[in-house]
Amino acid sequence: MNTRQKNSLEYRKNRWGWFFIFPGVLFFVTFSLYPVLNAIWTSFHNKKLLSLKPPRFVGFQNYVQVLNSQDFWNSMRASAVFCIGVFVPVFLGALLFGILIAERRRGRRFFQMALYSPAILSSVVTASVWLLLFDPRGLANQFLNALMGTPGIDHHWLSDPAMVQISTILVYVWKTIGYYTILFVTGIGKIPSSVIEASMIDGANAWQRLTRITLPLLRPTMALVSVMIFISSLKTFSTQYLFTQRGAPLAPINVLTLSIYRTALTDQNLGKASVMSLILFVILLTLSWLQIKAGGRGEDLE
Amino acid sequence: MKNGILVSPFRRSILMHRTGNLLALAVLVTACLVALIPFAFMLGASLMPGTDVTTIPYRWIPEKPLWSNYLRALRGQDGSWIYLRNILNSFIVSSSVAVSSVLLASLTGYGLAKFDFKGRDVVFMAIMGTMMIPFETVMIPLYLTAVKMGLQNRLIGLILPFLTSAFGVFLMRQYLLGFPDELLDAARIDGCTEPQIFRSIVFRNASPAIATLAILAFRGQWDNLLWPLLIVQKDELKTIPLYIVRFTSEMSTDEGAMMAVAVIAALPVFILFFTMSKYFLRGAGIYTGSKT
Repeated sequence: MNTRQKNSLEYRKNRWGWFFIFPGVLFFVTFSLYPVLNAIWTSFHNKKLLSLKPPRFVGFQNYVQVLNSQDFWNSMRASAVFCIGVFVPVFLGALLFGILIAERRRGRRFFQMALYSPAILSSVVTASVWLLLFDPRGLANQFLNALMGTPGIDHHWLSDPAMVQISTILVYVWKTIGYYTILFVTGIGKIPSSVIEASMIDGANAWQRLTRITLPLLRPTMALVSVMIFISSLKTFSTQYLFTQRGAPLAPINVLTLSIYRTALTDQNLGKASVMSLILFVILLTLSWLQIKAGGRGEDLE
Repeated sequence: MKNGILVSPFRRSILMHRTGNLLALAVLVTACLVALIPFAFMLGASLMPGTDVTTIPYRWIPEKPLWSNYLRALRGQDGSWIYLRNILNSFIVSSSVAVSSVLLASLTGYGLAKFDFKGRDVVFMAIMGTMMIPFETVMIPLYLTAVKMGLQNRLIGLILPFLTSAFGVFLMRQYLLGFPDELLDAARIDGCTEPQIFRSIVFRNASPAIATLAILAFRGQWDNLLWPLLIVQKDELKTIPLYIVRFTSEMSTDEGAMMAVAVIAALPVFILFFTMSKYFLRGAGIYTGSKT
């Protein structure tokens, strides 16, 4: 077969590529690309939900309004508190559990599955279970009182502005820590055993092995996990929604996603909601960019 | 090889090593207990009268299992048995999304992995780029479009925006990159058409990736609250998360039945988890796995 014939065959074959990707591409254009462009357009217009009036171009007015509104900055604060409040315990906890599980020879699978099991529950079910645990007469109070020796005290898990933030964070930590533990176990598993054996022959003890070998080589996984925790906790919605439905104060836990939902549906102000959703997009974009960089460093390891 | 023994053969360090091991075990066991206790609470409470759920001190085991909680959970406040309908809706939506995710993602992933056409890399990067778009950003435009197209209060409206996912395409492409080209070429020489090759060779041999993706997609919709909240107002078209929201606000004092609702909602995913835990854990590990 000469090259020209082969090339034309290759060419004919490769045209099929478009055939296979066409339905997928159509989907992403309709359900991702178009809505994003539409959101950008809406953010420059005065548009009300269920209003028959044609939307009016208002320039940057929505942006100015959002950036000057206390509600928006309160939501940024609520989201920041939530993300950091989730990040610290989840990251440290998952790292610790990951290391401990990876060190074990028996029961690795059991521990991973047990820690992961809360992640299987859907977030609404999780929220409804914890609603009852946080009841004034519920287990959370009983447990904390037993721990601190203060019988009969109500810690107002769902009504105190500070406590309700801690409660939502607790729920999320409980739900997600197992997932990141698995990521760390996988990451540690990928450290070449030759490196570890070499360090043992050189006389490193367990502590040295951890601080000089495991942790430095785990840095790509750590970077990846950090970004993933931030991205996913920025998107939290169900817990905050269900807790406020049951009478928890809104302002302390009015995270960005909840605020976007309420601005669009309750206030029916689509322009402002679009601005907020684009700000969320930019934040996530920055984080994703960090994630790609973290992933890129992961390749250096191989 | 027992850690440490090789390098420090002194009794003291062996002793330290043993206590360290015990301490590590204690930490892990405590963590697992904390992870599992809410499950025990949920199961126990689902068989108790509401007053027992918030009794001090809490008794974990119900004195006499109160199965009628489950009856009330299913029947609802108005005796309409709407939960059964809502469970069915969740099944329909989640399974449709799982099936279409797998189909569309494997078609697209195959096209991107095994054909070398002009613009392929641009398309791939663009699809990966959509992974960074949060649903909250496209939610409002999608909602307006759905209203315009009359998709409100229709199950198809719950399915359409999730027909496939960028992550699914990524997963299938990565998996199919490793598929042997010789096999495909052999089939071509045998006279198979390209759609035939996809259907009978590629698709049939991608079951691990397909199972992982199907489970992820199914769970995603089983869990979805935000979009159904926007699209569905009619009770008979609601999905499980919406029923839970409604039940917890309407029957707030019936804590036992509330937990029965939760147990019923959790059951299918748990069965899936215990029968296919391999794919669950793989789904969890994909991010780091893909970076190799």
